[in-house]
Amino acid sequence: MLLKNDSLIEALVADLRPVKPLSFGLGMLAAAAGAALALAGVSIFAGLRADFLIGPHDPVFLISTGIFLMLGIAASVAVVGMSRPQVGSEHGGWVWAAAMAALLPLTAIVVWLFRPADSMSGNFVDHGTACLLAGCGFGIFVGAALTFWLRRGAPTSAALAGLLTGIAAGSLGTFAFSLHCTYNDIVHIGLWHGAVVAVSAAVGRLIIPTLVRW
Amino acid sequence: MRADETSMARLMALSQQGDQRAYATLLAECQKWLARYYSRRIVPHHLDDLVQDTLLSLHRKRASYDPSRPFLPWLAAIARYRWVDHLRQFYRAAEDAFDDGFAAESEEPAIAARISLERMFTYLPPSQAEVIKLVKIGGLSIAEAASTSGQSESLVKVNIHRGLKKLAGLIEKA
Repeated sequence: MLLKNDSLIEALVADLRPVKPLSFGLGMLAAAAGAALALAGVSIFAGLRADFLIGPHDPVFLISTGIFLMLGIAASVAVVGMSRPQVGSEHGGWVWAAAMAALLPLTAIVVWLFRPADSMSGNFVDHGTACLLAGCGFGIFVGAALTFWLRRGAPTSAALAGLLTGIAAGSLGTFAFSLHCTYNDIVHIGLWHGAVVAVSAAVGRLIIPTLVRW
Repeated sequence: MRADETSMARLMALSQQGDQRAYATLLAECQKWLARYYSRRIVPHHLDDLVQDTLLSLHRKRASYDPSRPFLPWLAAIARYRWVDHLRQFYRAAEDAFDDGFAAESEEPAIAARISLERMFTYLPPSQAEVIKLVKIGGLSIAEAASTSGQSESLVKVNIHRGLKKLAGLIEKA
């Protein structure tokens, strides 16, 4: 037994190369770079909404965009933390951010139920679908950055890491596209922008675990 | 003499910088530590393979250790991950009894208790922990485990499946 392990140790020592420890700051920088690319993509290919720089801003737009940003940051913090395993580490902070973000679709449903049926035009679905696809698409930059980081690290729960990467990608993707979307309606934002997070989380949970298992 | 947390953390930090002598010393200490950690948590003829798998994971994932944090909780997370993975992959023959030898033998019992494998079982319902120990570690058949635990065979299978799934989510839990 010892001989077998000793030769393994010799081989590992011979293979040793210097490595740069994964730092929390660099991990968050990778997520921020993904978010910056998403923002650049939105501003180049879709354009920012007219009131973004000059105002006045709608409170629903400000609050919802801020909530998606915070959820994206909280999920990214958890993902980066998971890349550096440690017995005793907690990665549960994102749950509170997710619970607060869930108020957006819940509010949307309540408002929707008491709204006249004819107010839901074809535009509601068309614009909503566009936001859903664009939010998921721009979120890919964040998802790719965090997946790359997880592959360098050692996440001990691939399923949770995948789910959180999806949540981070969807939240920051919809945050970026919110700066283009001109709808301030809580029903549109809660349902369609919220759906970006849900769809990205489901895709992340399904696909990313196979990429980050070790 | 066993290396302590401080010296292992220092050796790992040097290893990350490419110091081969420090790395050789560290791996030898980790090998002994892992053999104790896994002792009686796995049938003896799989112990060597599991230790080797864990050393390989340590090597591949050495960048995930943060030199500003304690070393043993990081090593324990790597070790737990490999152990749960091993339990999920293999059924094995009964060869040894099950006790909490790791915490008892450790020079830092408080830390050892928090990072031990036995600690993970405390988060499982007793019915799940019992059948996992009987079948996955003790090596009993489903029928033997059912007879010993008083659970039906189908319940033993369900409890093993649910328990292992839960263990996989408890790897960083202290």
